Amino acid sequence: MKKILFSILCLCGLVSIQAQVDRTQPPKSGPAPVIKLAEPQKFELNNGLQVLVMENHKLPRVSVQLSLDNAPVLEGDKAGVSSLMAALMGNGTTNIPKDEFNEEVDFMGARINFGSGSAYAQSLTKYFPRVMEMLADATINPNFTQEEFDKQKDILITGIKSQENDVAGIAERVSDALSYGKAHPYGEFVTEATANNVSLADVTKFYRDNFVPANAYMVIVGDITFEKAKELVETHFVGWTKAVPLSFQYTQPVNPQYSRINFVDMPNAVQSEINVQSLTDFEMKDPDYIASKLANFILGGGGQRLYLNLREDKGYTYGSYSGLSDDKYAPGRFQATASVRNMVTDSSVVEILKELERIANEPVTEDELARAKAKYAGNFVMALEKPETVAQYALNVETEDLPADFYQKYLERVNAVTVQDVQKAIQKHINLNQLRVVVVGKASDVLANLEKVQYKGKTMPIEFFDKEANKVAAPSFESDIPEGHTGQAVLQKYLDAIGGKDALEGVKSILMEATGEVQGQTLEMVIKGTSINQRMVDVRMMGMSMNKQVFNKDKGYVEAQGQRTELTEDQIKDMQLESKLFPELQYVMAQLDIAGVAQINGKKAYKVQLSSNKAAFYDAETGLKVQEVSTQEMNGQTISTTVGVSDYKEVSGIRFPHKMSQQMGPMTLDFTILKVLVNEGVTEADFE
Amino acid sequence: MKKASLWVVLALLFGPLTYAQEVSYEEYDLANGLHVILHQDNNAPVVTTSVMYHVGGKDRANGKTGFAHFFEHLLFEGTKNIKKGEWDILVDSNGGRNNANTSNDRTYYYEVFPSDKTELSLWMESERMLHPVIEQEGVDTQNEVVKEERRLRVDNSPYGRFAEELFKNVFEKHPYKDPNIGYMKDLDDSTLEEFMAFKELYYVPNNAVLVVAGDIDITETKGWVNKYFGDIPRGKDIFRNYPDEAPITQEKRAKAYDANIQIPAILTAYRTPSFTSREAYVLDMVSTYLSDGRSSKLYKKMVDDQKQALQVGAFNFSQEDYGMYIVFALPVGETSLDTLTNEMEEEVTKLREELISEKDYQKLQNKFESRFVNSNSNVEGIANSLARYYMLYGDTSLINKEIEIYRSITREEIKDVANTFLNPNQRVILEYLPQPKTK
Repeated sequence: MKKILFSILCLCGLVSIQAQVDRTQPPKSGPAPVIKLAEPQKFELNNGLQVLVMENHKLPRVSVQLSLDNAPVLEGDKAGVSSLMAALMGNGTTNIPKDEFNEEVDFMGARINFGSGSAYAQSLTKYFPRVMEMLADATINPNFTQEEFDKQKDILITGIKSQENDVAGIAERVSDALSYGKAHPYGEFVTEATANNVSLADVTKFYRDNFVPANAYMVIVGDITFEKAKELVETHFVGWTKAVPLSFQYTQPVNPQYSRINFVDMPNAVQSEINVQSLTDFEMKDPDYIASKLANFILGGGGQRLYLNLREDKGYTYGSYSGLSDDKYAPGRFQATASVRNMVTDSSVVEILKELERIANEPVTEDELARAKAKYAGNFVMALEKPETVAQYALNVETEDLPADFYQKYLERVNAVTVQDVQKAIQKHINLNQLRVVVVGKASDVLANLEKVQYKGKTMPIEFFDKEANKVAAPSFESDIPEGHTGQAVLQKYLDAIGGKDALEGVKSILMEATGEVQGQTLEMVIKGTSINQRMVDVRMMGMSMNKQVFNKDKGYVEAQGQRTELTEDQIKDMQLESKLFPELQYVMAQLDIAGVAQINGKKAYKVQLSSNKAAFYDAETGLKVQEVSTQEMNGQTISTTVGVSDYKEVSGIRFPHKMSQQMGPMTLDFTILKVLVNEGVTEADFE
Repeated sequence: MKKASLWVVLALLFGPLTYAQEVSYEEYDLANGLHVILHQDNNAPVVTTSVMYHVGGKDRANGKTGFAHFFEHLLFEGTKNIKKGEWDILVDSNGGRNNANTSNDRTYYYEVFPSDKTELSLWMESERMLHPVIEQEGVDTQNEVVKEERRLRVDNSPYGRFAEELFKNVFEKHPYKDPNIGYMKDLDDSTLEEFMAFKELYYVPNNAVLVVAGDIDITETKGWVNKYFGDIPRGKDIFRNYPDEAPITQEKRAKAYDANIQIPAILTAYRTPSFTSREAYVLDMVSTYLSDGRSSKLYKKMVDDQKQALQVGAFNFSQEDYGMYIVFALPVGETSLDTLTNEMEEEVTKLREELISEKDYQKLQNKFESRFVNSNSNVEGIANSLARYYMLYGDTSLINKEIEIYRSITREEIKDVANTFLNPNQRVILEYLPQPKTK
């Protein structure tokens, strides 16, 4: 009883204490934590390699980061050589075959990776000596083989292709290229063409010229003593031959003469990518470095002005941010970005510009600055948890030419920044009269409104670029069909464009020879046809017939891999129309309508439904046929086949396409037509 | 033979075990049912405070998808004592950072602060649990924001819809069949009343775990926890009764199209049991065996030797009720998707028919050991793991003991699990294709 009473009393006590909790005010901070900024130990090898060691024995693991502080290299028409070099490194060494190397790394549960100017390795403490030995071997004696090179080049090119419709990826590439220029290392990018220009010898040369120790820094962090680290580096990296990378000059990139929008049309976009940029000379050693970073934070840090306006107030975007990058080799860059739904693209540009003008023209509030300072101070304190960060600080002091006490006095430096410093920094870094506003999005949805964007009392001019940052004309995407325009007229224009009715009717036979490639195998294709409903298509691989279709007036068959199948009655009916040399000569007599308008390879084309299972597209400007789409029922499923035709060339007064690309599901077959003969080379025997 | 013995020697030399520093913690319940876990690590002056609520995408309001994630956005809109828009200001001006994320099974909120702000962080999370302010204005704005998030991550993103397409085909009845982020229509239709009811039901102390980890004093922290969370009223008990799925017994084929890609992908998916089951751990090992590292089976064969794939991977998408095991590849050059499917299946067949080699088994053990050491390397990650192991696995001590489960898995078990879950008649094959350009 006494016990129970006691606990009831206790409970009451507890409740009454809790009732007094003052929730209305945030609790006060405790005493500020003591900050210990550890210093890494350093040494240098004769070949120039500088090493920093940060002991941390909390976990039984060690990591090593190697970075080459070289000036950026322009790769030009061989853009891709540095990424290929990186892909080839770490794949074995001249001493250890690739498979053994990879197997051993994996067996240890370790990691060894290379970048074009860096390397990283990490493992449990017990394996680290061996990992360092392998890292050094891979650095000094890379295993450059033709086989691996060919494979990596294939992967690189497929990767480039895979990004063609990636709106965010294209936006980034175009923003860089327009800001820095394609002739600057920061503006150039890899294309299929430049990747194809690279040879294995180029990779080897790039490695010899650039992967050298003169400007190399190595940071070792973790469960290892300084002595042991030093011993490992000295033993294994002493053989890295001393050499200095070549140095280059490039044109100085500059901001545009006046503010403008640079637009790239991507019809698949459901969001527009906006990037407002301004180049600025900005290095970490500049006295206004911290003030500039704080200024950028107030404008576009997480949860700050851009975010509050475009996300929390308007709901235009998942997030809008800005960045200010420093660079000791080239101009740095201010960028304000957002991904926004198509409908609000113009409004978002307007709001971002408004925020830039506001922060440049009006001083920020003391509260905003205090918040930014607290954030920077907090980040600094919290980052100390990671020994890697502390090592990075020490590395920055070396490579960025900072005062030795930069980080010791960091918090004091943050505290000393004033509202005036912030405004000065903004005015220095954001050139409001020379902004480049890159917008990548769907023109048909966003352009009409974007053309009306007002900035500083004037309509902002728009320039158009393609996905490779080449200047192009404004996209014509109006989907309306001109009044009175008919399918008949489209077909007539096509017939005129390829030679005219009279010339086409004079054709008795055609022979075409083409070559294509599938899964690395070469295919040959021969097509023969006559004006009296005869047609033969033969596809061969290494001299063997893979698929042969023959049609002769009222009968025909398909022969595939030795199996012969006669055509059904329906198929014969279809073929009687299909086997015409120029079916449009027939179709043009029918009253066909234009079934639609589409963009094909970026150009406007009219669609004409030729029959229930076949449609064709004709270029609105040239009149030439650019694509055919036919559908077929097969086992209850509808399969559609798309054939694109291009590269028209004249043969005997008639223009024939010399490139054909057939797409069926994920497969694409590209054919190049090698030879076209008109009225020769075809005999009756071809159709038996 | 010579090589094999070398590996055995290596294994013996280094010994099988490494001890990562054990994560120490203390856990208890408040009277209102809130579970509390404290982890002290005074190495750096940093503290992580987090709350995990046992509510996720599978828990809906009137069947509406994407509800839990939408709700997560609303919980940054303010509380009775923290005005709208002030949450982030409070975090920044105290030098911290914060965020949240929602899975199909749980919602996780966290703050990281310099350690003199521990009390502040507890006050903030208790405000969020006790009396968040949810208003129509916030619902309207966050509806747009979440839809933008969906466009950014899913609709405008290359390969962004593959998970959605797989779940749709692997699940028929269980709410896992629908996307965690929700359908646009459901997002638009969600009402303020539904959000209020959702809060009443799920955002209660008896459905949450609070973790404070880092540079703390245990006694002082307990006092603050009691002060700010002790008087939050307990909620009703929560019952879930989601439909069971019938086993997949016949291969399913599906296609999906994506306008943002040029290179197709082929994906094979199998339905698997809850992540708490021993089989799920075995499947983690199978993924590592198949595609982690350059010497892994699929990578070495398809990317390296035969040059058929740009990328190949296997992963075990683990969840609370069911999981999904996925093997995928992207072709290089003209390799057909069928070829890729057959090459992937060939390796899975081997797993069903043969024991993996002794050497590969040892390699797996070494990889999991290394992963274990790295997994508890920062306080923020430890806080998340403690919450997860308690709430979803029902055993906080897994943070130190999970490695023992992996160590105890045998080669025979790997074969058994492959035979139970990874058969061709149990799979869904998804062709993920570029959207044809013309309409």
